[in-house]
Amino acid sequence: MAESLVAGHRSTGNGEADVVPRYTIPGRAPSDVRDDDVGIALPTGAQALLEAEYENMLACVRCGLCLTSCPTYVLTGNENEGPRGRIALARALTEGRIPLTDELLTHEDNCLACDACTDVCPAGVRMEPIQVAFRAAVEPAVRRPVWVRALRTVVFDWLFPSMPRFRFLVWLVWIYQVSGLRTVLRATGALRLIGMSDADALLPPFVPHFLISSGQTYPPEGDRSDRVETVDLFAGCVMSTALAAIDHATVRVLQRSGCAVSCPSGQGCCGALHAHSGDRAGAVSLARSTIASFEVGGDRPVIVNSAGCGAMLKEYGHFLADDLDWASRAKRFSARVMDASEFLATRTLPVMHPIGAGSVRVTYQDACHLSHAQKITSQPRDLLRSIPGLELTEMAERSLCCGSAGVYNVTHPETARELGSRKAESIIATGAEVVVTANPGCYLQLRARLRATGSKTEVRHIMELLDAASSPVVAR
Amino acid sequence: MTMLRTDVVTRVSRATRVAIATDLRRLVTTGDVLDAGTDLEVYGYDASFLTQLKPVVPDVAVIARSEADVIAVMRYANEHRIPVTPRGAASGCGGGCVALRGGIVLALNAMNRVIEIDGPNGQVICEPGVVHARLNELVAPDGLIFPPDPGSSRMATVGGMASTNAHGVRAVKYGPTSSWVLGLTVVLPNGDVIETGSVGSRAKQSAAGLELTKLFVGAEGTLGVITRLRLKLLPRPKARAMVFAVFDVLERAGEAVQAVYRSGISPSAIEILDSRSLRAANLYRPDLGLREAEALLLFEVDGNPAGVRWDAEQIAETVRPLAVEVDWSDQEPRIAKLWEARSVVGAAVGALRPGSTRAYAGEDICVPLSRIPETLRGIQELSVKYDVPVATYGHIGGGSLHPAVLVNGRDPDDVRRVIALTDAIHHLALDLGGTVTGEHGVGAARAPYMTREHGAALETMRQIKRALDPHGIMNPATIFPEDVPPTPALDASLVTGGM
Repeated sequence: MAESLVAGHRSTGNGEADVVPRYTIPGRAPSDVRDDDVGIALPTGAQALLEAEYENMLACVRCGLCLTSCPTYVLTGNENEGPRGRIALARALTEGRIPLTDELLTHEDNCLACDACTDVCPAGVRMEPIQVAFRAAVEPAVRRPVWVRALRTVVFDWLFPSMPRFRFLVWLVWIYQVSGLRTVLRATGALRLIGMSDADALLPPFVPHFLISSGQTYPPEGDRSDRVETVDLFAGCVMSTALAAIDHATVRVLQRSGCAVSCPSGQGCCGALHAHSGDRAGAVSLARSTIASFEVGGDRPVIVNSAGCGAMLKEYGHFLADDLDWASRAKRFSARVMDASEFLATRTLPVMHPIGAGSVRVTYQDACHLSHAQKITSQPRDLLRSIPGLELTEMAERSLCCGSAGVYNVTHPETARELGSRKAESIIATGAEVVVTANPGCYLQLRARLRATGSKTEVRHIMELLDAASSPVVAR
Repeated sequence: MTMLRTDVVTRVSRATRVAIATDLRRLVTTGDVLDAGTDLEVYGYDASFLTQLKPVVPDVAVIARSEADVIAVMRYANEHRIPVTPRGAASGCGGGCVALRGGIVLALNAMNRVIEIDGPNGQVICEPGVVHARLNELVAPDGLIFPPDPGSSRMATVGGMASTNAHGVRAVKYGPTSSWVLGLTVVLPNGDVIETGSVGSRAKQSAAGLELTKLFVGAEGTLGVITRLRLKLLPRPKARAMVFAVFDVLERAGEAVQAVYRSGISPSAIEILDSRSLRAANLYRPDLGLREAEALLLFEVDGNPAGVRWDAEQIAETVRPLAVEVDWSDQEPRIAKLWEARSVVGAAVGALRPGSTRAYAGEDICVPLSRIPETLRGIQELSVKYDVPVATYGHIGGGSLHPAVLVNGRDPDDVRRVIALTDAIHHLALDLGGTVTGEHGVGAARAPYMTREHGAALETMRQIKRALDPHGIMNPATIFPEDVPPTPALDASLVTGGM
């Protein structure tokens, strides 16, 4: 062979080329495992889950373009905490070159799955499927305290799969808030004592006026008979309960845009939290039941007002691609899904009036699962600009995650608080009176972090603003 | 020619690594010290094919957060003869920021403060970890710009740019990074600190003494560690325009560049995409709708609004007799779209053969302008000979070409052919009076060609290196092909404390 660029890959003996790339045969290069690194054994079935995303991992050319987009890399400067590092670790693990260690688990677990890296990747690597596969693969090997295991079982297996149970819990939380118990716990410092003060701060003030999907249809409003279209609403678990006001606002806005809004029964949680927490079976089960409950609507658009859920619903096609019975049903369903702002950008709202007495300065916070995962950035801004008297201003670091990221602000409170405070500072610096978002997690996170700084900036879901601006009754 | 040997890296024992890490944790006061096995994996590569094939994992990684951390690491490493490899964003393509002889990787990406923007004096003082795009965002409100523009603006750090003397798309008008570095603070291998470009100076030019600044720029961390940079800024041009020209004969693209220069215009960028690049860009992004031909040239001019229009018209008229299609625009959205066509090519190459990815190998040759058509044809012939798809693009205005090779990393035979092709591309560049690296730096990947490229001058470089780094601990095996011995056999007895 000619003089070699990477002559280090030649054997030192006979001069024959001996190029054996380390990623030729995943999982079959035990001699490369460094003997001094003792790790955790890979659980059964983990290898297959990881290998399903192996092509995706190999697409990374390690250019480093993702680094500055990554919230955890920006905070730590540690390459293990950046997208390129996480992909390299997952790949080396898949290839059997490095063992599963506590450090590796922590670095992968610290990923917010915000997909900012996916958004900027020139090589087309997709982080979210890697994280979903990795977390499912290692979950059996993750050492968790018994009570955390028990809590996960209750939350993932008992609570989220059942909307009646979910509503019951939210009702209990309402009791907690209005009964004075919360006031007592806060005043006595008991919440801080049990490490729940961050979680408590995230709770929204709500009235239990739930939107219960039981197959009902809300008729279109106004004289728009020429343009009547029926859409299905994905009501969501948190959105239809704790934040039901936003669901009701969404229904009204859709009605005013000339749509009949159908709420198919049998729907519930989308399974995104399960997928991001390593509970693949739970996510698959919820995905199937969601798909089944919406099939009654044929090919009608499925409208969703939660960015995180919308990203997951659109991902069902990929998520169930290897599921013989469900692959085509999943693909068909995912093709129907539209974020509410994505859908409304194609329609016109009849009458729009100002939402305040004078001009109102508003800044828009890109939910990661809308901007990065669904590439929807212009539609919500255009809708906001269509509101008279609304002055839209942009914040610094607009593509950086606010730290909510599903339940990240509960599982990783410190990092979430740091990111949330950074986001709050960016929002306050714009001088906006209102910050608008399109995702329940961001909504709660922004409220908590802005309140912590003493800011008076209001947090609103974009559907709430559109509802107010298109309401026949002008509320001043 | 001497081989680069990455297989001689002998990892020291776990006990020694723990001892080094323990010592460093005591000495490094603001940064982080990493030594867990899996934590070091990610410090074993950059964008190079070399390290894609085989990560070279260090014994310890230090994330420095202050100059004091760097001094502490260098003093310790010098005392114990431990190799130190500085590292920025690790977006390089030559394997120059990995610990080829083991030892410590010194990550400087977290030293990313902009210390002072001195608008009236047209300069900025900053730390090495500042990312290029971020720096330009920060100086823009003052109407200023740091002109060198690597295609990797959103990842490259200014420390890495200085260390590799990065050029980029606008070097044809504004020159390389070295033209824009006024002074450096450097921690020498023994831990001493010097300031080049006159201590405390804010002068924009100087003729005082040996040009030490230029010695450290482009040294790729083989002479010391840059901890602070004083960079020159320029008033931001108010307007730009872009001419694009399509050619069905490769030689005419080369003639067009010469003709534009003869017409007395100095474009801020002249880029070329060859037929494979155009094909790849169209496969990857059909909406770009590029006309597929032998070559596409992009001429960018910047300056004042009236001036750029005049320049653009002049360029269009000059190249029209040679091209099959010519157009120009001074509209920002149109210019952005044309630049996008250029910027997607690197990644788009993967579209030429599904299942393969871009490999950064042989990606940075530079040849005399008069030999460009010959070089492009030569690369296409080699592509056929080795049966490896290659799309070539680059900054033709300076003769800098980026052949993008495709590899199926799962196929050892494919890997072998890519390695052989890469070698052939490097020799082609040298045969035609060029260099193996126009702007990315030597690193480890191109070190084996330095003897042929420099001849006796390489020994002079070695003498400089030995004078500053007598123990050979600074980024060994980068640039210099063979004279740095493998890591001395470290053992716990060499290390103070910790054991």
